[in-house]
Amino acid sequence: MAQEFHLRLITQRAAGGDPIIRERSIAGPELTIGRATDSDIVLSDLAVDPHHAKLRFAGPGRVTLESVGGAPFLLNDRSTQRVDFNVSGDPVAAFGDYRLAFAPGEDGGAVITVTREEHEHHPSPSIFSLKAPVFGRRNMAWGLGVGIFVICLLVPLIGTLWLSQAKIHPDQQWSSGPLSKAHAFLENDCKACHAKAFVAVRDETCLSCHKAGADAVAEATILARSSDGGSPFEPRLIAEHAPHNKLRIATPLPDAIGPKIGAVVQRALNHPTDRCASCHLEHTKPEKTGDPVTEPLLKDKPTLVVVQDCESCHSKLKMRLQKTELIDTPDWGRHPTFRPLIMTSPAGAKPTFQRLQLKGMPLERNGLIFPHKMHLDPLGGVARQAIVLGKSSGYGAALECASCHTRDASGTGFKPIEMEKDCASCHSLAYARDGAGRLKSLPHGELQKVVDTLNGRSVSASSVSDRLRPGTIRPTAFAANGAGAWRATFSEGGACFDCHTITWAGDTVQMAPVKLTHRYMPRGAFDHKVPEHGGPGKSKAGGFECVDCHKANLSELTSDVLIPDIAKCASCHGKTEAQTKAADDADCTTCHSFHAPGKATPPPGYPPLETLRWTQAVARRGAGA
Amino acid sequence: MTQAGGHTGRVRQRTHEGFLRHKGFRWAFVATGLSVAAVGIYFVVALQLSEPPSGGSWIGYTLGTMSAGLIVWLASLGIRKRAVSDGHYSLKAWVSAHVYLGLSLTVLATLHTGFQFGLNIHTLAYGLMMLVIASGGLGIWAYSVLPHRLSANRGEVTRRQMLDNIASLDAQLQETAQPLDRAGAAIVRHSIEDTEIGGGFWQRLTGSYGNCANKQALSSLRSLPNSGPDGEILAKIETLMTQKVDALALARRQMRITALLEAWLFVHIPATFALLAALIAHIVSVFAYW
Repeated sequence: MAQEFHLRLITQRAAGGDPIIRERSIAGPELTIGRATDSDIVLSDLAVDPHHAKLRFAGPGRVTLESVGGAPFLLNDRSTQRVDFNVSGDPVAAFGDYRLAFAPGEDGGAVITVTREEHEHHPSPSIFSLKAPVFGRRNMAWGLGVGIFVICLLVPLIGTLWLSQAKIHPDQQWSSGPLSKAHAFLENDCKACHAKAFVAVRDETCLSCHKAGADAVAEATILARSSDGGSPFEPRLIAEHAPHNKLRIATPLPDAIGPKIGAVVQRALNHPTDRCASCHLEHTKPEKTGDPVTEPLLKDKPTLVVVQDCESCHSKLKMRLQKTELIDTPDWGRHPTFRPLIMTSPAGAKPTFQRLQLKGMPLERNGLIFPHKMHLDPLGGVARQAIVLGKSSGYGAALECASCHTRDASGTGFKPIEMEKDCASCHSLAYARDGAGRLKSLPHGELQKVVDTLNGRSVSASSVSDRLRPGTIRPTAFAANGAGAWRATFSEGGACFDCHTITWAGDTVQMAPVKLTHRYMPRGAFDHKVPEHGGPGKSKAGGFECVDCHKANLSELTSDVLIPDIAKCASCHGKTEAQTKAADDADCTTCHSFHAPGKATPPPGYPPLETLRWTQAVARRGAGA
Repeated sequence: MTQAGGHTGRVRQRTHEGFLRHKGFRWAFVATGLSVAAVGIYFVVALQLSEPPSGGSWIGYTLGTMSAGLIVWLASLGIRKRAVSDGHYSLKAWVSAHVYLGLSLTVLATLHTGFQFGLNIHTLAYGLMMLVIASGGLGIWAYSVLPHRLSANRGEVTRRQMLDNIASLDAQLQETAQPLDRAGAAIVRHSIEDTEIGGGFWQRLTGSYGNCANKQALSSLRSLPNSGPDGEILAKIETLMTQKVDALALARRQMRITALLEAWLFVHIPATFALLAALIAHIVSVFAYW
């Protein structure tokens, strides 16, 4: 029997179930394969050529498969156009979707099983939905969420909690706004201020650069610390106007309900509202320049926010601070009358003071004998002396305040009175002439040196008047009968006797110490520079001269306290311009600064940041300011 | 709206009220009230505060807490919508509240910022929130306009029928093309095998199918000489391919409208997750560096 091809054509049912198998045999030696209906094996796939290949026997159990039109086919998944093969090795040829599986047949023939691979894809209606394989909703959601969580929270948090000296600063993305210029050098170093995570910035952090020291050494240490830390500016060293625990107790909750609840909640959550950072805010919005081209301007200094004003604490103070001596000052109209510090004794290293009300006419004991009235009397001997001294000596007319009281560099106050400078023009300390004819003066202020200088000296009395011009030696200075010159100096008619309180213990001279008050009210500021306060420049109508406040021209006693009471201030402050042209504000800050109550509150932005550069700061200190 | 209920002759009374009009705009009023109150408090009270406006003032904390709570609640719609229930807290009520309270966040959170913006995590959280709300706004537009278009395009044909129609045309092409030679068959195969009904994300959204395989096949087919013995077959195939062009266009229009209906969610959902992460980072960082 000749070799033949036994075909098994397997067709899957569309509805499923057992496939349909049709079998037939084709006598060798050759058969055709193609899409054309006249082919021996019809493969109705458009990928198959109408006459694609021929198959013929090439020996027992061996066949040759060859392309007709040059179109390739697969044998065992390898593309080819002609191939001889043995049918016993279960070879499989593929044309399009069709698989021709070979197997040995009877008498060296071949069995060819023809199947069609159904890989037709029937799309389901779900393809109408929008899908993005890579950037799908779920992928993007988790990717972005986890990414932001890690980059914006986890990495900076780990850096904050465990890595203190990192070179990169991932926590900078947490900064809610730029620092002011003053603190800009700390921009990359969040932990300079935010020392502990989840703990509000504490005062100790601020004070590590800004604490006013107890002495110059402590302050120099603090300043050096800022300089070493990279600050281009000298930090302002500040103190508090009362012990911090007292301030804390004395401060009431804010009045308005919102801020009140806010304060209670913040305090409960370890975010105290009495910290430096409660009032001095950083990371605020930069100022707009109004010019869209230029960058917004950084603020020079942290934004100051007045959380509580003076009145809010200084009202009903005794309800919160049981032991305070401070008198409540709810407003300017109820400001207590002045209680200046009056020197009750100048003796000892530290003179003693007492706060006394002015209306009680307190007496000051400063150790000096100095009647202001005598010196200011325009018709008196002092005036005559001044006229005689003439303009060339800085006088030439009756004395006025400025003849002795010289303004200090700021103009706000006055230099301390110095005997040699302010009195000696008239009150000569000369006691002899040297070889060149120059006058020799007694050393003022040092009792023992005076005694030593004059010891053993004896000067014969002169008959000329004792009232001599300065620069001459006053005869009575040494005129004590038969006594030593120094004894005469300290006795009635002697150079020291008129102004100093002198007592004798046997042969030993004793002089009451003299200490002159520089400021009667060190917790308040008064600016003598203001024209309306008698300062230079043109005053508004209603402004004052010295004598309007200081009744020195009527004062016969050294113990008179010559400062006015608050009523004098109130004649302008708190008044309207209709009442006086010199009317002015009645703010606490005019006379009291929060951090330095003895000074006026500096105007906003004062001192300008640039003046705090180290070079300028050093120059300023060099100039003694 | 009254609809005749099909051939049974029964009449069903059905009043459809969308999520926007739910309970007579109840949540629109709530959200508007909330926003107006916030603006009022901000401009009356907060501007009297001594400190510059920021999230750190008492009103800042209040608005921030409200906003954060709202964001978490709004995001929980994703969980809520998976649990079907009805009654007072129906999903429609949730969606209605979601939409209006979500819109009110633009007011609350903006006031919370105190108009202080910068390149930082805080502004990132704000920006993401606005992105979520803006994409949600697109969603509102899509849901109020597109279902009608979808229905109009579909006519009486279901989506399944659209696909079956194309599959049937493919089968007919396959069948008709059997006698063709290799070149003709290749053209028909190109139409059958390479035609993508939907296409990618942007293709669906823009509806541009210039390189459609069926269209290319049709063009190639027309360039074949049709005077030969296969002329009749080619003419038939051309008819089938032209029908397929129409069938594809219908399905693709449906897909494009569906894509527009769903596209906003590709921003809304990922941006929401990003926002939740940024929100946590914002809150934790603020208190870490208090």
